[in-house]
Parts: sequence; C-alpha cells; structure tokens
Amino acid sequence: MSALLTLERVSAGYGHQQVIRDLSLALGEGQLAALIGPNGHGKTTLLRTISGLLHPSGGTIALEGRRLDRLRPDQIVEAGIIHVPQGDLLFPEMTVLENLRMGAYLPEAAREEARRLEEVFALFPKLRDRQGQLAGTLSGGERRMVGIGRGLMAGGRLLMLDEPSLGLAPIVIDQIYEAIATLRASGRSVLIVEENAMRIAELADVLHLLDNGSFAWSGSGAELLSRPESLAAYLGA
Amino acid sequence: MSAGRRDLLVCLLLAGAMALLPQLVGTRYVVTQSTLFFIWAVVVSQWNLVFGVAGIFSLAQMALFAVGAYATAMLGYYFAVPMVVAMPLAALVSVAVSLVVGLACLRLRGPYVALLTLAIAQVLYLVVVNDTDCFTNPPSGCMPFFGGVRGFSRFGDLGFRALLGSKWYVAHYYVGLGLLTLAMLFSIAIVRGPLGLAFQALRDNPGYARSRGVGQFKYQLWVFGLSAFFTGLAGAFYGVQFGVVGPIVFSLATLLFLLSMMVVGGLGTVWGPLLGAALLMLADEGMREVGDWRDIGLGVILVLFVVLLPRGLAGLRLRGVSKAKQS
Amino acid sequence: MNVAIQILSSGLTLGAIYALSTIGLSLVYGSLNMLNMAHGALLALGGYVCFYVMGVLGLPGLLGVPAAMLVCGLAGFVVYQLAARPMLASGGFETRIFIATIGIGAILGNVIQRSFGPQPVAQPLALHGALVLGEVYVPYQNLLILFVSVAMMAVVALLLGRTRVGRAIRATAQNRDAAQLMGIRIGRVYAQVLALSGALAALSGILISSLSGLLPNMGGDPMLKAFVICIVAGLGNVFGAVVAAFLLGLLEALIQYLLGVQYSFAILLLIVIAVLIWRPAGLFGRRQVVRL
Ligand SMILES: Nc1ncnc2c1ncn2[C@@H]1O[C@H](COP(=O)(O)OP(=O)(O)OP(=O)(O)O)[C@@H](O)[C@H]1O
Ligand SMILES: [Mg+2]
Repeated sequence: MSALLTLERVSAGYGHQQVIRDLSLALGEGQLAALIGPNGHGKTTLLRTISGLLHPSGGTIALEGRRLDRLRPDQIVEAGIIHVPQGDLLFPEMTVLENLRMGAYLPEAAREEARRLEEVFALFPKLRDRQGQLAGTLSGGERRMVGIGRGLMAGGRLLMLDEPSLGLAPIVIDQIYEAIATLRASGRSVLIVEENAMRIAELADVLHLLDNGSFAWSGSGAELLSRPESLAAYLGA
Repeated sequence: MSAGRRDLLVCLLLAGAMALLPQLVGTRYVVTQSTLFFIWAVVVSQWNLVFGVAGIFSLAQMALFAVGAYATAMLGYYFAVPMVVAMPLAALVSVAVSLVVGLACLRLRGPYVALLTLAIAQVLYLVVVNDTDCFTNPPSGCMPFFGGVRGFSRFGDLGFRALLGSKWYVAHYYVGLGLLTLAMLFSIAIVRGPLGLAFQALRDNPGYARSRGVGQFKYQLWVFGLSAFFTGLAGAFYGVQFGVVGPIVFSLATLLFLLSMMVVGGLGTVWGPLLGAALLMLADEGMREVGDWRDIGLGVILVLFVVLLPRGLAGLRLRGVSKAKQS
Repeated sequence: MNVAIQILSSGLTLGAIYALSTIGLSLVYGSLNMLNMAHGALLALGGYVCFYVMGVLGLPGLLGVPAAMLVCGLAGFVVYQLAARPMLASGGFETRIFIATIGIGAILGNVIQRSFGPQPVAQPLALHGALVLGEVYVPYQNLLILFVSVAMMAVVALLLGRTRVGRAIRATAQNRDAAQLMGIRIGRVYAQVLALSGALAALSGILISSLSGLLPNMGGDPMLKAFVICIVAGLGNVFGAVVAAFLLGLLEALIQYLLGVQYSFAILLLIVIAVLIWRPAGLFGRRQVVRL
C-alpha cells in the first residue's frame, strides 16, 4: 500500500505548550482513517498542523512524498488537502451559495464548480432550497452541511473532517453519516476526527486513538468492535 | 525582598541621587532640562498605569495634562488664585474631566477607546483655538475665554523668583523632583498593590477573574481617575515652570514623544517608562543638531521599537532574567 | 427652500468626501483589525503628488490623479510589508499596529513638510464656476466631488461583490482561518487591501485639498472624522460607513449653518458618544466584518 499522507515524528503546540508529541501516521490512498480520543488531547491541533494553520515544531509531513510542513495553508490546499474545520467556520455574511462557491476558490476547483455544486446538492438536498440564505442565520445542522459541502467543492486528494457530527440531533447525524458513507463508497481518501468511536468504527478502515498527544492504540474497525472494553477506559464510554 | 519593597528602595535612592545633581552640575540648561524631564516622566508614569497596567488604550493623557495646565493658568489669570492653591485645584479639575471621559469611553472595546479619546483631545484643542470672541479686553489685546491661539501668560508663579532671584529654577527642579517621586510612589503602589494584582488577574484569565467578581470597569475607572491627578498636577507645574500655557500642549508631536517614551522603555513595567523618558530626552537632545530631522528620527525610533521590540528595553531585561532562571 | 438646497449641497459634498476616506479605513480594519493612523498622512501625500504632477511638472490632471493613487497605493503596500506583516502573528497586534502607524504618519507628514514646505498651497485640480439653482449657487467643484465619490464607491462595491479579489477580501474579513482553508493567501489579501485603501486615500486627499488647499497636516482632521464615522457605523462595516458618512456630512452642514463652524466637530462628537453609549458596537455594527 503506497501512503498518500505521511507524518513522521511530528510535534506541535501553542507557544511553550506542546500538544502533539512525536506522532507518526500513514494514510493510504482511498482509505478512511479515524482519529478518536477524549476531549482536549490534540485532535484538532493535529488537523490544523497538517493543513498549515499551525507550524509543527518538529517532524515532517508529506503528501505523496512532497514535503508540506513549511508551506502556507493556501499552498497546502493547492497541494490537495482539504480541511473542514471543527465548528464549521462559515462566512456568516455570505449566502449559502457564496459559501459553497468559496470552496471552489482555487482555479483548478473553479473549473469543476458547476458539476461539484450539483454533487453537493445531491448529497444535501436541503441546501438547494437554502441557497440564498445568509450562512449566519442557518441552523446548526444546515451549517454543518454547508461546511462539509464547501469542503467537497474544493475537490482535492484528501478530505479532513473535524467532528462532523458534533452537537447535532440524532436524525441529522444519520444524514451526515450517510454522506460520509457515500464519500467512502466513491473512493475518496478521508481523515475524520470523531468522538463516537463505536459509530465510526463501522465505516473506518483504520482508527487511531489519540491520547495526550500521541497514538495509544491503532487498529481496524473490526478490532475495535470485537473488543471494545479494552478501550472503554480511554474513551470514557 | 519583595518586588514592592525593592521598587520603593530604588525610588528613594534615585530621588536622593537626583537631589544632588544641581549641586554637582550647576549649569542652568542641564537643570531646567532635568526639570522638564521630571514633568514628562510624571506624565508617562501615569499614562503607563492607564495604558500598560490597566489596559486602557487611552490617548487622552496629553489632554488631561492640558486641562491641568489651563485650569492653573485660568485660576491664576482670572481669579488671581495663588499658584500653590491653583495647582492642586487644577489637578482635581483634571480628575473630574477624566471621570467624564472614562464614563463615556471605558465600556467600549480597545480601538474604540483609542479613537474616542483622541477625538476628545482634538475637540478640546479646537474649542481652545477656534474660540475667538473676546472674553476680556486687557491692554495687551483681546483675550478669549480659553486664551485662543496665544494662550495665557502672567498668571502668577510659585514665588521662587522673588525669593531666590535668578536661581529660582533650582527650586523648581526640586519641586519637579518631588512631584516625580510622589508619582512614582503612587505608581509602585498601584502596580504592586491590590489594583495591580486585579489587573494581572484580568489579563491572565479574564473569565475567571470576572467570575470572582473582579469587575474591569470599576477598577479601570479608578486608575483612570487617580492617574489623572498627577497628570493634571504635572500640567499645572508645566504652566508654572514656563509661565505660558497655550494650545501647543495639545500638539500631536508631544503626544508622539511621550508615547515613544513608554514604548521604548517598556509598557506595563514600573521603571520602563522612566528609562524611556530619560533616553528619549537624551536622544532628542542629540538630534537637536539635525533640526528638522528630529521629528522624523523620533517617528523612526517609535516604529522600530513597536515592530521589533514591542516590550521595550525593560522587556529585554525581563526576558534575560527568565532565560537565566530556566537554564 | 434655498437654505435647504445650500445645506443639502454642502452636506452631500462633505458626506461624499468622508465616505471616500472612510471606506479605505473600514476595509483595512475589517480585514486586518488594523486602525491605520497613517491614513491622514496618506491623504496629504495624495494631494501633494497630484499637486506636484500638475503644478510643478505641468502635466494634465488625468495623469495627476492616477499618479497620486499609484504612489499612495504603493505607500499602503509598504506599510503592510514593513510594519503590519512582521507583527501580525504575534500578540497585541491591534495596539501595536496602531502605535506603529502613528509613528509612520508622523514620519510621512514630516517628509511632506520638508519637501513642500509648511505654507498652504492651492490644489491645481479644481473646477471653477457654479450651477445656479434658483438663487442658490452650487459650485461645479462640489458636483465633481459628488460624482467622483459615488463613481468610486460603485467601483469598490463591484470589486468587492463581483471579483475574485473581492471575494477573497470579504472571506478574509469574515473568517481568517476559513479563508486560508479555501486556499486564499491572506498575506496577499492584506497587502491588496492596504494598497486599495491607500489609493482611495489619495483620491480623497485630492478632493479635500481642492476645497480647502494643501497643508502637510491637512489629513489629521479628515482622518479623525473618518474614524468617528467608522465608529458610528461599527468598525469594519463598509456599507454602514458610507451611510454614516453621508448622515454625518449632512448633520455637519446643518450644525455649521445653525451654530457656526467652530462648534461642528464638538457637537458631532457629543452625538457620537451618545450613539456609543446607546449602542456600544456602533449604529449598524453587529460584528466586525466586511459587508456589502
Ligand atoms: N489557540 C490555542 N492556544 C493555546 N492552547 C490551545 C489553543 N487551541 C487549543 N489549545 C489547547 O490544546 C489542547 C488540545 O486542543 P485540541 O483542540 O487539539 O483538542 P481536541 O482533541 O480537538 O479536543 P475536542 O475533542 O474538545 O475538540 C487543549 O488543551 C487546548 O486547550
Ligand atoms: Mg477538536
């Protein structure tokens, strides 16, 4: 298996406070990998480091062998890593449609804009009716759909989703998971952060348990589902 | 030794050393320039309390200084109040004005405060300069209520000219030194005392401090008002020292000069602003040769420091200390 | 009736001038959280460059205006590179850039004074004559100012609303991190916004000086007024700033007519303070974002 994304001994943090310690990771083409772990142990920090919003203090990050850890965020997006951040971070004073179109900001994505827009609307039909509404006035579930949809508009090689089901009602979570399953079926490479380990285990090829800045356990979904009790302590489930 | 005690000791030692200066260097120029240094040092030490310690981004400091100067001159000019009485009265007027400004501005966010205080200062300036109706008509010509562009002169002095003759400036030196010592003691009391701790808490952890009932607004208003007292007093003394009070005290160049002192020395520290005031007075002295380039030089110094060394010279030393502690 | 036309004419002219200098400030604050205190010096610089090109070199105004806009746009770019960029990532940016731009403004103002002298000069770019409406004279110059400002605002609105650069500016102002995740190079956006703001300042400075003449410190009061307008509108709210600029322009003309020039700024300010006590985030300010 040739790795799409490789992290080697990456460290990162804020100021003097180190959050990610010596972490290594390899993600294969077409894989769906999940990062699980308790609150505040650095999942978001790791994604922000990969997408260049934070600079790693050590280690290397590479996409298909090309070093990314000194590049600017916009260059990393151009290289093909799309990050749907925790809390959506929509553009509140733009409409739903404008938000989605911002996803296709880079020229390469802009060429595919019309086609991808149809794909997003097919995935989240509700957004088609809400096109003209200001993003700042959307409900939490709608906002999440716009956030994910905006990420899909960008295309790219690897999609990173940070807690796509956080804070949503069960029925909306089902819709989001359906969308993730569709993505998986279409062969996209996905790195997803999820608190609900049991649920993501059904979909993921591989799971990594992040504990205090490094991986405490890695394995397949089947492994996790077969012996959940050993991880219960970590996950507080 | 606690930081407060150490500061106190430094303060008294410095004051003692400075008290000897007129005995050692007798030239009038050095003594009067030192007196001016005392005045500016008082203003920046108080401005630093407002800006660096309480975190109020106020640009009204020179306006409060001007209020002190004008109130003194007007009390002397219109009511012939003796200067010894007029000066503290004027300082109280500054406090009153600062409380009004504070009530209007302090609930707003940082940049709003900066712009509003700057605008208020500018309005005061315009009121003084644009008011051209004669209030009285002395032999020297029409006198608007706020003195107009010419300003006030001959409003009285502290009496040292009569007492000491040509050596009056030495007495003013000691008055200035006394003022600065008082202002520094006040500064130390604020920074090292409960108010300083409250602001430290607010800076470090706003949410927690607020939940413990540390209300920012109240404390900020206190510091704003109290620091206006010494600022106004410095303004009053400025008027007495030069015998003239005119709209030049509002000038942007002076504001820039004093702001540079704080930034160069180190915002929020006890001694940084004093150091900055001394260095900038010296730099200013050095640049006197190059005349017109002086203001440009000051601007360059200010920009270089904010961009490259935002914590000032005092910050440099603090960083050195913390590095030494770590290793 | 005549009085009303008179007040309307000078109020709209004032408003147009304020609006033009306010847009730039508001855009810069909306995108970078930067209060550019060098703006006043940029206004003066624009006025003097136009004066230099027309009055000293003897070239036509059609060259003087773009030359001024180019020089000031470049100056804005330099301010970004030398002052804003090095401190963007570190703490206390808002305060530090404010102080730094005070210093830059002072430097620029003094350079202008050394180059052109402290005495006032007339702006060569001025129309003479007036339109007669009944018994009221409306100077052509006022109409020109109104026309140029409105045209320029339309250009800026189109730029922000319809172009790729404009989309990037708005996205950056609304959410810096998200903009980066869309592939926007925000450093470039910042530089563009400051350059744009500089060019607008040049135009505004030329218009102001065509009414009141050139002085090295001529930018101080207009800048302060522009900031006051930004505050009333809510910092960073571009559309609100334009509305507030015209409102305050009309108000100022009214106060000037009723009470005389010397009190207009003071009263304006009292009104602003009242507005802020009533609505601390400004008249239209919900959040700090670039809105259209
Ligand atoms: N901007 C920041 N500055 C300083 N510390 C931060 C910052 N952002 C996060 N942290 C700290 O870094 C640690 C890891 O945070 P992170 O957001 O990566 O956790 P997480 O695993 O994503 O948690 P959650 O599941 O709650 O989203 C936390 O202790 C957090 O307080
Ligand atoms: Mg997280």
